[in-house]
Amino acid sequence: MGRADSLAKLAWAYGIHLTRRRLTRQRSQLDDLLHTYRPDGIRALLPAERAKLPQLVGCINCGLCALAAGRMGKTRLPDLATSYMRLYARLGEASSDIEGGEPDFEAAASACPVGVPLADVAAIVRRLSAG
Amino acid sequence: MSAPSAHDVCVIGGGVTGAGIARDLSLRGLSVLLLEKGDWGAGTTGGSSWMIHGGPRYLEFDWNTTRLSTQDAGHIVTIARHLVYRVVFIIPVLPHDRNNIERMETAMEVYDRFQPLKRAHPHRRLTAEDARQAEPGLSPDVIGAVTMEEWGVDPHRLVYANVEDAVAHGARALNHTKVIDLIRDGGKVIGVRYRASDGSISEARARAVVNATGPWTTEISGMAGVPVRLRPAKGIHIVYPHRISNFSISAESIDGRDLLMVSHAGFTLLGTTDDDFYGDLDSVDVMEDEVDYLLQAFERVFPSIREYRPVRTTAAVRPTLYKWRRYEDELSREYEVIDHAAQGVEGFVTIAGGKLSMYRLMAEETSDAVCRKLGHQAKCMTATTPLPGNESDMEPPADLARRFGLPALAAIKLQSRHGSNAAKVLDDARGGRLVCRCEPITEAELAYAARSEQVRSLADAFRRVSLAAGPCAGSACVMRAAEVIGGELGWSASQRFDAVREFVRGSWLGRAPVLGQSAWAQEELAQGAMRGLGLNGTR
Repeated sequence: MGRADSLAKLAWAYGIHLTRRRLTRQRSQLDDLLHTYRPDGIRALLPAERAKLPQLVGCINCGLCALAAGRMGKTRLPDLATSYMRLYARLGEASSDIEGGEPDFEAAASACPVGVPLADVAAIVRRLSAG
Repeated sequence: MSAPSAHDVCVIGGGVTGAGIARDLSLRGLSVLLLEKGDWGAGTTGGSSWMIHGGPRYLEFDWNTTRLSTQDAGHIVTIARHLVYRVVFIIPVLPHDRNNIERMETAMEVYDRFQPLKRAHPHRRLTAEDARQAEPGLSPDVIGAVTMEEWGVDPHRLVYANVEDAVAHGARALNHTKVIDLIRDGGKVIGVRYRASDGSISEARARAVVNATGPWTTEISGMAGVPVRLRPAKGIHIVYPHRISNFSISAESIDGRDLLMVSHAGFTLLGTTDDDFYGDLDSVDVMEDEVDYLLQAFERVFPSIREYRPVRTTAAVRPTLYKWRRYEDELSREYEVIDHAAQGVEGFVTIAGGKLSMYRLMAEETSDAVCRKLGHQAKCMTATTPLPGNESDMEPPADLARRFGLPALAAIKLQSRHGSNAAKVLDDARGGRLVCRCEPITEAELAYAARSEQVRSLADAFRRVSLAAGPCAGSACVMRAAEVIGGELGWSASQRFDAVREFVRGSWLGRAPVLGQSAWAQEELAQGAMRGLGLNGTR
């Protein structure tokens, strides 16, 4: 009974939906979507960042880049790749952690055994923490 | 054996339901003993999808379940504000999907009627182009999408917050304590006999005993001689240690089931399977076939999925109510409160079935039944009384970070676990020194967990503060963590090594089914780091 009732109500809703679709003009809802969730930090990575994401999140936290190139602001480079890249929804509240000096990303990347492009990681973290 | 303790109610099972019942009854002024054979939330609760959801898929079966679930989700979001965050799904539609875009949007329009009950926004409809702009990882075959909002939660913290509040209101709560028998007097259950982690046996007398053991319900009810039949269903998840998509994404499996890739605060859960389970409930393994089943489904909508490195898997068994013939996926997540007096066993109540999203309501109805039996007149207060950490507003994380000398990101994570109690956790001479840098976790928080949150092993710390939950899976931190926890609990040097060995072996079991090419680099590092412990035989 519960299921038959549910399906009947869904069928009725489906009819109303189709009618409404025919009668109303459609417009893009993408901006609404992004605007709605901006306060929650749900922001889209850019297509170019998305394409590189498997490499960007590949850090295994071996620590070699920290030996090769030090810190970005107060943050060790392995932390940038393992910790800051994970929590990008709330990076705006942690911008003070990465303010300051620029490490030698080329040296860091060449020390990385799994090929994490650390300069790209830093660029994304900076972009997202800037809000 | 020491003299039995005496309580109004003994609750067996420290998952979210048992913890919720203990909290509810304690708030009503009853004396409660809560017993959990493993760690808080280590069973079905911890193996969930980490979501407080309204159950849109139940719209096809029973709208009332959706209404109740959404309503209770709203209560949980209110009382556990610091533990929840929005999870937004894109539901892509491909040609030949079971549901076309119009049917999907119809379902979301109906679901929108319930969404305000849990403070969620209505759905949006996206064209194929819009969907790929919002989520560039989507397949070019996607022909459109709708969105849907749910709430994410750390179920381990949710369980512990309930335990903590129960204790604050007079309950006694013991983890790693297994009930080995029910004490009976004729047809009445009058207490429990239990074994503590040190092997000692004790008894507790209670006016009522509640069986809230999830998939273990049948085992405990068997001790009382009353059969409760379940249809246990196994579900696994693959865990990625990062967000790998902007939004959460749903996908249809090869057999037409709805699967989810859930973007949580700092990781992604991909699942879940739903298969009848007949094996040992204490040893639920993940099979590589199950991993492939999930990846195959998501590859269709998110083609790059196999390029990402999973860090582990989870497996758990749902305590689904028994029904013959239906496919597992069609079984409702309904629950049932059973007073066994009707079967001639007084003083014994079982709560069976249900799901994480409705834990509070299940706890309320079970507590109502217990209070009726005991003639206790007190109303449920759990829908409005905030959980610990949500009693007041949190200070800005940057301020907390400055006060205690820790990174702002560590302050954010600390608050996501402890809410407005974060400063209390840091009130320790250790200050902001980090143990686990991936998460990140401070020494002070870990010591607090051992001292005040019943952490007795590294696996307990994984659940309580997410120790070793990040990309390195603990290779950089478990030794140091064992020092901190061992220091608090008085472990000897060999006990600290044993604790690390036990944790590494346990985490290997969850990691092995997802070791692909990219994961081996991590595995080599982890194995290398642990080689000094004589763990070469782990794999």
